[in-house]
Amino acid sequence: MLNLLRKIFLLDLIQGLWVTFRYQQPKYIYTEQYPAQRPKIAERFRGAPRLNINPETGETLCIACNLCALACPENLIVVGSERDEKTKRKVLTTFTYDISRCMFCGLCEDACPVDALELTQDFELASYSREGAIWDRQMLEEGPRPTKYAW
Amino acid sequence: MAEQPTEGKPPAAHKPRPPAKPPAAMASTPWEDELTEALRAKFQDRIAEFSAYLGQKFLVAHPDAVAPIIEHLKLEFGFDYLVDITAVDYPERAERFELVYILYSFARNERIRIKTRIKEGQRAASVVGLHPTANWLEREVYDMFGIEFAGHPDLRRILLPEDWTGHPLRKDSSILDMDNRWVKEHLGIESGQ
Amino acid sequence: MPDGTFLDATELVLNMGPQHPSTHGVLRVILKLDGEKVIGTECVIGYLHRGVEKIAENRTYPQFAPYVDRMDYVAAVSNGLGYCLAVEKLLGVEVPPRAQAIRVILTELNRIASHLIWLGTHALDVGAITPLFYCMREREEILNIFEKYCGARLTTHAFRIGGLQYETYDTFESDVRAFCDMFLPKVDEYEELLTGNRIWIGRLRNVGILNAEDCKAYGVTGPLLRAAGVKWDLRKAQPYSGYEQYDFEIPTGTRGDSYDRYLVRIQEMRQSVRIIRQALDGLPGGPIMGKVPKVIKPPVGEVYVSIEAPKGELGYYIVSDGSTQPYRVRVRPPSFVNLQALDKMCRGALVADVVVVIGTIDIVLGEVDR
Repeated sequence: MLNLLRKIFLLDLIQGLWVTFRYQQPKYIYTEQYPAQRPKIAERFRGAPRLNINPETGETLCIACNLCALACPENLIVVGSERDEKTKRKVLTTFTYDISRCMFCGLCEDACPVDALELTQDFELASYSREGAIWDRQMLEEGPRPTKYAW
Repeated sequence: MAEQPTEGKPPAAHKPRPPAKPPAAMASTPWEDELTEALRAKFQDRIAEFSAYLGQKFLVAHPDAVAPIIEHLKLEFGFDYLVDITAVDYPERAERFELVYILYSFARNERIRIKTRIKEGQRAASVVGLHPTANWLEREVYDMFGIEFAGHPDLRRILLPEDWTGHPLRKDSSILDMDNRWVKEHLGIESGQ
Repeated sequence: MPDGTFLDATELVLNMGPQHPSTHGVLRVILKLDGEKVIGTECVIGYLHRGVEKIAENRTYPQFAPYVDRMDYVAAVSNGLGYCLAVEKLLGVEVPPRAQAIRVILTELNRIASHLIWLGTHALDVGAITPLFYCMREREEILNIFEKYCGARLTTHAFRIGGLQYETYDTFESDVRAFCDMFLPKVDEYEELLTGNRIWIGRLRNVGILNAEDCKAYGVTGPLLRAAGVKWDLRKAQPYSGYEQYDFEIPTGTRGDSYDRYLVRIQEMRQSVRIIRQALDGLPGGPIMGKVPKVIKPPVGEVYVSIEAPKGELGYYIVSDGSTQPYRVRVRPPSFVNLQALDKMCRGALVADVVVVIGTIDIVLGEVDR
């Protein structure tokens, strides 16, 4: 009997509609106006890679140990190095990082013994060509250069 | 801007693994309980080995005996859930493939593996009649290893396209070759790998 | 293949997918129809096949870990847990209790996230659009926790072999607690929207029935098996990662139809919150990484380890030849095996019910095709 009344008066539907109605309040707006409103990115976010440089001397922190290249599952890091004749130490010459194949797993930054390679909060990695997704040492140190548009 | 990264890439991780040395024997321990006694009494020398490794029990059986063993286990011991069928390829062995059946019993809360070794081209007996779930699992083994199952109702490729040649999970098929062949055939260019 | 059709009408073959919104990915189902009635189905899968098992043979053990996230990508943490447990078992590594507890918290959060995706998309398939937005909204909170914890939202790569890479962040505990407190009333809201809704009941009740016997025969596990009345959950049956310490119930259904599966999954979300709260209360201190050798080189051997993923039994069968790369990795995917029962569930049903049945199995094509 009660069930029949509930059915006749559409109580089940009204109950559901009441839930949706409660969320009509403007304080329940969850949409983010993306380019205008920047998302909060967590500190540990694994985004664009960066090769850190020593802020005081401007020299790279990388010791060209090649551990990141060995750790990478996709084999997308190529470290070029040469031996300095005077100090007998390996010096970094080139560093290529292929973003297009990267899955941002973080194994390379875990492997880095000197915290030179780091995945940063930068997440806007689009480029106009496949070549643009292959980052060289300069780009890794200075960060990506987004195209500026004249409005 | 950046130099071609594909050229100077160290090939370490992509190089097909050198032909695997005959694996050192697994440090398994014998497995004895009332189940092995019953199976030994029924199947005698058609079961070569009862072992356990890391507490996981398995038996190695003659290929002809696999289906009867699975049936016996299902009917008498309540192993009513066929978890998985898979295979491992050992190209250097005379009996190249190792078929692995994983069974589970809800009543005993116990999991056992049945292994059998078959030669290239030898047909294994299908267990679809006992466990309908074997249908897709056997198709996948056929797809990936080229092992045929006698008595399977519908043995076709399942994950790969029907016009695919070769069986990718065999140790002698390399990812690079497959990639090069596919790219050449479908895109008409050289693969950059 | 089909039995005599009604009034000798010609059998109609209808192609559903691969690009169809309610197949949850790239699943192609060939339907054989007699009018509105389904007399046979055939699944064509493999559109998303990436050869994960072959990739594994060409990677070292730690290198393969990110790939498992890409199988069931809505429950990446569960995938990672299964893989790590399997390699740890092979290595004989003990995981410290703190790492185990954090793993449980994250895995259960991921179970909730996976069930939310399921609930939202399933309701959308049936025609209820609103739950999708609400489910995504709550899932966002979980993904934010993941992002803060490990730096990625979907393919998390949260666990490492032997323990964890990351210690919890400062507000981890309060974040998770806040989520739990916020989430339970939201589950009640989903129930208000759906449980009593006559359209929802009408579409789901007695659709896609699979009884316990059929479940076992088809190897169907997870919520589908539990909805058929089998009280079986690997977290209870063969506890791993410290699940034996937590007090929770296994929700079961009685009829084994789509509506029971819905109820089971809703209850599972509540139970997950219960587990998370217990794990937070008893979160031990100590290290988060076990004693793992620098180069992971398990001894020759093989192991099969399975966990209760949100979709069912997820197993990893790993054969080691003593080198740094696995000799063979086999993934026992729950979605793949469960999908096989589609034909059984659809036979005799109406075309519109096929959509419901596909939704109720809760497949992720990344895992079906691997």
